[in-house]
Amino acid sequence: MGKKMVIILCFLMLFALSGCLGARQINDLEIVIGMGVDKDEDTGSILLTAQVVKEATAEKPSGSAGGGGGGDKAFWNVSSRGESIFDAIRQITHKTGNRLFISHNQAVIFGNVIAQEGLQEYIDFFLRAHEIRPTALILVAEDRASDVLDAKPETEKFPAMNIAKLVDTYGFTSHFYEVNMKDFASCFMSPTTAPLVPLVSIVQDEDCKDIYVSGMVAFKNGKMVGKLNHDEVRGLLWVLGKVESGVIIVPSPNERGKAVLEIVKAKSKVTPELKDGKIVMHIKIKEESSLSEQTTAENLATDKAFEKIQEATAEVIRQEVMAAFDKSRELNADIFGFGEMLHKKYSEEWKDLKDNWDEIYPTIDLIIDVESKIIKTDLLKKPVSPGKEE
Amino acid sequence: MLGFIYKKFRYLSLNKKNKHMLQNDKPGKNNNKPILPDLGKNLEVIKDVLNNSSDVTVHEFNFGHDRKFKGALIFISNLADKEEIHKNILQPLMYNALLLNNNADIDYTEIDNIRKDLIPTTDNQKVTLLSDLLDNLLAGATILLINGSREALAIKLKKKESRSIEEPGTEVVVRGPREGFIEDVNTNIALIRRKIKDTDLCVEKFVIGDMSKTDVYIVYLRSVANPKLIEEIRIRLKRIKTEAILESGYIEQFIEDCPYSVFPTVSNSEKPDKVAAKILEGRAAILVDGTPFVLVVPMVFIESFQSVEDYYARPFFASVIRVIRFLSYIISTLGPAIYVALTVFHQELIPTRLLISIAEGRERVPFPAILEAFLMLFAFDLLREAGVRLPKPVGQTVGIVGALVLGEASVQAGLISPIMVIVVSATAIASFAVPAQTDSGTILRYIYLALAGIAGGFGVIMGLLATLMHLASLRSFGTPYLWPVAPLNLSGLKDVFIRVPLWTMSKRPKAIAWDGCDSCEQSQGLMPSPYKKDNNGSK
Repeated sequence: MGKKMVIILCFLMLFALSGCLGARQINDLEIVIGMGVDKDEDTGSILLTAQVVKEATAEKPSGSAGGGGGGDKAFWNVSSRGESIFDAIRQITHKTGNRLFISHNQAVIFGNVIAQEGLQEYIDFFLRAHEIRPTALILVAEDRASDVLDAKPETEKFPAMNIAKLVDTYGFTSHFYEVNMKDFASCFMSPTTAPLVPLVSIVQDEDCKDIYVSGMVAFKNGKMVGKLNHDEVRGLLWVLGKVESGVIIVPSPNERGKAVLEIVKAKSKVTPELKDGKIVMHIKIKEESSLSEQTTAENLATDKAFEKIQEATAEVIRQEVMAAFDKSRELNADIFGFGEMLHKKYSEEWKDLKDNWDEIYPTIDLIIDVESKIIKTDLLKKPVSPGKEE
Repeated sequence: MLGFIYKKFRYLSLNKKNKHMLQNDKPGKNNNKPILPDLGKNLEVIKDVLNNSSDVTVHEFNFGHDRKFKGALIFISNLADKEEIHKNILQPLMYNALLLNNNADIDYTEIDNIRKDLIPTTDNQKVTLLSDLLDNLLAGATILLINGSREALAIKLKKKESRSIEEPGTEVVVRGPREGFIEDVNTNIALIRRKIKDTDLCVEKFVIGDMSKTDVYIVYLRSVANPKLIEEIRIRLKRIKTEAILESGYIEQFIEDCPYSVFPTVSNSEKPDKVAAKILEGRAAILVDGTPFVLVVPMVFIESFQSVEDYYARPFFASVIRVIRFLSYIISTLGPAIYVALTVFHQELIPTRLLISIAEGRERVPFPAILEAFLMLFAFDLLREAGVRLPKPVGQTVGIVGALVLGEASVQAGLISPIMVIVVSATAIASFAVPAQTDSGTILRYIYLALAGIAGGFGVIMGLLATLMHLASLRSFGTPYLWPVAPLNLSGLKDVFIRVPLWTMSKRPKAIAWDGCDSCEQSQGLMPSPYKKDNNGSK
């Protein structure tokens, strides 16, 4: 009897430990799916925009309202000024009537002005708050973050969801890559490596405002220093071995059309070398691709043609890497993480190098070795062309 | 304080027990008087004991040479078969040539002589005590009393009024025998005998109930069932002191191991093939007269998820179905609780798009999710209960009204969210997939739901842990309830989450069958294969 009571008591006491007695009904939640941080030009304070799901209108079937295209929007962009992010979030409750529920936040977008001034003072809250996922995407807007959240995507009810979808599909082009809060923070804390963040902008057509990922921006010492275009980002990804797929266009061997290749697999190996105070990075890239399209009538599926195409592909890759490197030299931002690599291999010498890394970085030499191979021609063996005897 | 109350309770219950024992010994009811040689006096006494009840027929007659013997037949007219009495008792006694022609050397006051020479039935018994006589009379036997004899003959010529053997309503099978037990216990034993034609099959009879005097039989295989188990059943059955046993459920509640548990520790079935299979594993069946439900002990938890059809179907499909049954039990007990825990406490665990659509569905609902869930579950249980007890045509109406009013209209009116309707209906359907645990599932569902409403996922986990602890502590007639999962038994696991082919199941369940029995049910190497020449049939 006594033993039983003890067990029951133990169970009851455990309930006191749970600490989550705060039940919240789902209709009392203001589900935030995207956040934008801008600078209020007049007062200099933070202008925080939260994209909140509007439950009442989202309920309407897509047939009547056109899925948020016309009429009522399925979301509500509510913004508030504040001295800090947290302050602004709490200020928003004056407008919403409920505390924001940020666990489902998909993306945090920083306005251009904020990015240029530096993210140092804004990033803390997004990692410290227990309710916010560190896996939320981080992005920089071409102009103002609130404009991006105001976009009207055609197939998606919520702009923030659309952004997450856009960034998620980077693998098809490797023109940018997904960066979430946690990744960004770990790069942010590195003394040499410059973190990159995707850049989103708005393409305004007649009546639709589409979101477009136009490249990535590099940060140095917490401040945005410059922009990398699509090819430059892919050049960076070649070196990091993170290219998943993408399209490479080379002229066909007879120079009367183009051969279009799809990257199937890419690997890379970077070996730093320190010789007489001179730093050389040996970059070895192995790439496999498939011939996915050709615009010439010539049969490209021959050994001779393949060789030429492979050479041309390797050249394209080399140029992309060099473009990325040139850009990083221009910005003097170590986007490749060469500093970390040197640190690992030459930990003794690194002590001298790290203090004036900014001066050393532009002097690095690259030796790029690209091995490109076509492994398949997809469904066709010969081009579709009027039969001509060769 | 609690200890004091507990002691008080013990004291009170002991007092009651003692009183009950005393009542049993009350004189007058069970008279152990012998039968007197005087027929007239006997009849008087019997009539008196039976309060001159109008359905008791006493027929006095003379028989023998010169009609010098006096006899009387006593029977209860509604229980006994009058035609059979005419044919098998009165006619032989009164018109048998032996009796009429003989010069009366044989003394027909001697019951044995009558029994051996004149009565052409098998099922008759000599009684000397009045109480035995009355027991037999009330059980439907016809009593033959002879003037001058201290003995009487109880001839069992019962009128058989029983239902024919039909397919049981509670356990319908797609493949398998369609026969089911009926209310007549003798038929039921015959049904088992027909499945197991072995000399080892033992049938032991008990009579339980001071007033109902219900026949209760233990049926088991002497060579397989653990003797300790049988002894334990005997002890527990003998301990029952009650007025009436009207259904096997009465027996179950008097002999079960843990009366305060929501989980049943005695299984029941209406199907002879199922009961026979369990007897073959070393279990014992308890048959009760008057009910088609046969009890089987010991019971393990896993049994609830096994169906006879698992063994009639081929192993692949049987295994898939078994997994589905486990899943459906989980859904039926935890479904609403997990839904409430997720939507009220752990919204961050729901995928974003799902959360948005749940939020949209709940937009107009004025109640908290826990109340919504309780309302819906209550409505479901109400519908089920109402539908079960009502006659079929009315029951259908209840179903339609329930589906339309509670499902459709309450969503339209914004009282219940559509997702809650889905959750509760999935729960309802899942709860029927494991019939043996429907009762426990229904209770646990409400408990888990309350815990989820109080403390979210944490509460659900606490509830699950407590349930697991309880299950692990349960025993059914000495067999651990969670066997063969806990304690782990590898060969027993062959028939838990999957059902391996029959030809690989060569051993009897260790925790159930007797250690001393031949552990092999069948020989090894029974895997079927086409005849091969080189093997020469040696395999």
